[in-house]
Amino acid sequence: MIRKLIQVEFLKSKRKGFWLLVFLGGFGVVALQMVNYGVRKEYLLQQSDNDWIYYLMNISNFTPLALVLGIAILTSFMTSIENETNAWKQLIALPVSKLTVYLAKFTVLAFMLLVASLLLTLFTYGYGVFLDLGAIPYGALLKYSFYPFFASLPILALQLWIATVSNNQAIPITTGVIGVLPSFSAQNLPDWLIWKWPSLMNSWNEPIYYVWLGLGVGCLLYFVGMFDFARRDVK
Amino acid sequence: MLAILRSEIFKFRKANIWALIFVGPVIAIFAGLVDSGELPVNSWVYTVLMMNLVYAVLFLPLITGVFASIVCRYEHQAGGWKQLLALPVTKGRVFLAKYLLLVSLVFLMQLLYLGAIYLVGNMQGFAEPFPLEIIWKSVLGGWIATFPLIALQLWLAIWFKSFAAPFAVNVIFTIPTILALNSEKLAPFYPWAQPYLMMNIGGKVDAMFFVPWDQLLIVVGGSFILFFLGGYFLFNRKAF
Amino acid sequence: MKYVVETKNLTKSFGKEQAVQSLDMKIAKGEIYGFLGPNGAGKTTTIRMLLGLMKPTSGSIQVFQQDLKKSRISILSKVGSLVENPSYYPHLTARENLEAWRKILGAPKSRITDVLAIVRLSDVANKKVKGFSLGMKQRLGIAAALLNNPELLILDEPTNGLDPSGIIEIRELIKQLPQSHGMTVLISSHLLSEIDQLATTVGVLTKGKLIFQDSIEAMRKLAKQNISLRVSDQDEAHRLLLAKGIQTDYQKDRLILSEFTDEEIANAIQFLVQKQIAIYRVEEEKRSLEDIFLQMTREDQVG
Repeated sequence: MIRKLIQVEFLKSKRKGFWLLVFLGGFGVVALQMVNYGVRKEYLLQQSDNDWIYYLMNISNFTPLALVLGIAILTSFMTSIENETNAWKQLIALPVSKLTVYLAKFTVLAFMLLVASLLLTLFTYGYGVFLDLGAIPYGALLKYSFYPFFASLPILALQLWIATVSNNQAIPITTGVIGVLPSFSAQNLPDWLIWKWPSLMNSWNEPIYYVWLGLGVGCLLYFVGMFDFARRDVK
Repeated sequence: MLAILRSEIFKFRKANIWALIFVGPVIAIFAGLVDSGELPVNSWVYTVLMMNLVYAVLFLPLITGVFASIVCRYEHQAGGWKQLLALPVTKGRVFLAKYLLLVSLVFLMQLLYLGAIYLVGNMQGFAEPFPLEIIWKSVLGGWIATFPLIALQLWLAIWFKSFAAPFAVNVIFTIPTILALNSEKLAPFYPWAQPYLMMNIGGKVDAMFFVPWDQLLIVVGGSFILFFLGGYFLFNRKAF
Repeated sequence: MKYVVETKNLTKSFGKEQAVQSLDMKIAKGEIYGFLGPNGAGKTTTIRMLLGLMKPTSGSIQVFQQDLKKSRISILSKVGSLVENPSYYPHLTARENLEAWRKILGAPKSRITDVLAIVRLSDVANKKVKGFSLGMKQRLGIAAALLNNPELLILDEPTNGLDPSGIIEIRELIKQLPQSHGMTVLISSHLLSEIDQLATTVGVLTKGKLIFQDSIEAMRKLAKQNISLRVSDQDEAHRLLLAKGIQTDYQKDRLILSEFTDEEIANAIQFLVQKQIAIYRVEEEKRSLEDIFLQMTREDQVG
C-alpha cells in the first residue's frame, strides 16, 4: 500500500513545480558561490591555504538557509494539494490508513530533499573542479552536502506536522521564517535548538552528532505529527 | 477608497493572524538579550546592531511576503476575487487598498520593533539615554526600504493562488542578501539588502537616512516604481 | 435482518453543540436510502462518520456487519463516496485525478475509461479539472465514487450544481445501480422531490435527530387525506356534527374532516342531508410529501 501511495503522491506533484524548486535549491546555493568567486576570486583564494575546504565552507554558509526555507516551501506545497480543495476527505475515504498517507507524504518530501542534496554535491563538485582548487576532498564534499540533510529531518517532521494541521498556510510559512534565523546566526545559540543543526556547528565540534540527533529526533517528531494527524477529524 | 481600505482592515483583523506582527519584535528581544556579553562601543548601538542582524537581514523581507499572501487569502478561497470585484469598486483601488494595508502593517511592526529595542535596553539597564533620534531613523528607513518588496509580493500573491509560491520567489531573492551584504560594491544595488542597510545605524548621523539619497531614490524608488506599476497593471489586466 | 449500514446511538458533538444525536440508522441491502433533511441538519456529519472521516463522540457504526472502528480499511475498499462538494486536484486532468485514486483502490486501469463514459466526461478526460464547470466536477466526483464498483455507494447531495438534464441522467444512473450491480445506495438531499423519485427507504433528519425512518410507501401513507365540505349553513352543520360526536375543523368557508374512513364520511353526509343542510361541495384535499416533510421538521422545531 505504501508503495502505491508514494506513486500517487508523485503523480499529484506533477506540474506543481516541485522539481524546479528541488533543482533551484541544489543549484542556487552553488550559484551564489559562482557569483562570489566570479566577482572576487583572487581575494577569496588568498583567505585560506586549503582552497577546497574554504570553498566548501562558503557553500555551507548557505546550505542551511536553503534547506530550512526549502522545507517550509515544499511541505506547504505538498499539503496544499489536499488543503486547497478539501481533498483530504476524498483521500481518507479511500481504503487507506491515515498513518500510511502521512508516511507517504513524508517519504516523498524526504526523497526530494535527498535529491536536492545530491544535486548540491554534483554542482559543488562541478564548480569546484572548474575553479581548479587542487586535490578534491571527497569526504568533506559528501559531509557538507549530506550531513545537513540528516540534521534537518526534525525540521521536516515538524513543518509537515504544522502544515497538515493548519488551515491557514501562513502559520507553517511563518514557522519556516522563524526557523531560518537560528541557522543564519548559529554560533551563539544553544545546541538543542533543532534549527541550528543544519549548520553543523556545535560545541563538541562533531558534525556527525547532528546526523544521529537528526535521525533520532526526526523520528520522534515524525511520530508525534503522524499520530496527531490520525487523531484529528478530517475536514 | 476609504471604504475598501476599511473592509480590508476588517478582513485582516478577522483573519486572526494579525498577531504575526508581534513575531519579529519578540524574536528581536531574544536576540538582544542573548548577546549581552561584552559590550564594546555604545551599548545601545551594539545591541541594535545585533538585533538588526536577526530582524532586518532575512526576517523583514520574508515576512512582508507572508503578509501579502494573507491579505489575498480570502479572495483566493472559493472565488472571492470575483465576489470582491463585482462590487462597485475599481481594480486599481482594490490594489491600492491592499498595498496601503500592507504598508501600515509593516509600519506597526517597525514601531513594535522600536519598542523592543527600548525594552531590551531597559532590561539590561543601559546607563546612556535612549538614542531615540538614531533609532527612529533606522526604523523609518527600514520601513521605506520594504515598499518595493511589498509591491512585488502583493503582485505575486495576487498572481499565485498557492500560499507557498510567492514565498518561494521571496526566498530566492532574499537569501542572496547575505552575499550581497558582504560586498560593498553589490549591496547598494540589491533591493532586498536595502531594509538592512537603511536600518544599519552607524552611518552619517547628520544625514536623513543611513544610506545616501541617490541610493534611496534609485534603488528603492526605482524598484518600487517597477514592482508597483507591474503589479498594478497586471492586476488590472487579469481576468478573474 | 442483516443491514449493510447500522448505527446505534450514534452521536457527534462539537463542543456543546450536538450535531448528531443518538442516531439509529438502518440500511438494508439493495435499497436506495434517501437521507433527507434541511441544510445543517447533520447529514454530512453523519456521512463523514460513516466513512471514518470523523470519530463519533459516542455510539457505534456497523458497515457490512463489521465494526467501522476495527475494520475501516476493509470496509472502505467496498465503499464509494462523494462527500459534500467534490474534491479534486485542479492541476491534474480528469483522467489523472481518477488515476490517483485508482492506484490506491487497486481497480483495473480500464475502469477509468468506463466510469468516465458513465458520467459522460470521456470528451474532456485529458483536460485539467481547473477549467471544469461545477457540474463537470460533480460528475467527476461521481465517477470517482464508482471507480471500485462499490457494494455501498454514499452520495452526499449528488445533484448539486447539475443542470436539469444532468440531474435526470444521474438519477437514472443511480436508480438502476441496485439491480444491475447489486449496490446499496445512500443518497442525501435537502430536496424531497429528489428523494421521492429515487429512494425506496427514507430517513428524515432534523437538528441531528432521525425523526422518521421507513419505506417511502409508509411516508406516502402519511399523506393523509382530508375531506373538505362546503354547505349551506356551516355553523349549523358544525354544531350538529359535534352533537353527534363528529369533530370537524371549522375554517372560514368550509369544514375539514380528517382521518375518516369512506363509511364515516358517507354517514356524516347522509346525516347532514337528513337535517336539511344542502351540500355544495365535497372535496378531497391531498397533502403533498412536501407538506409532510415541512410539518415533520417544523414540529421538531416547536418541541
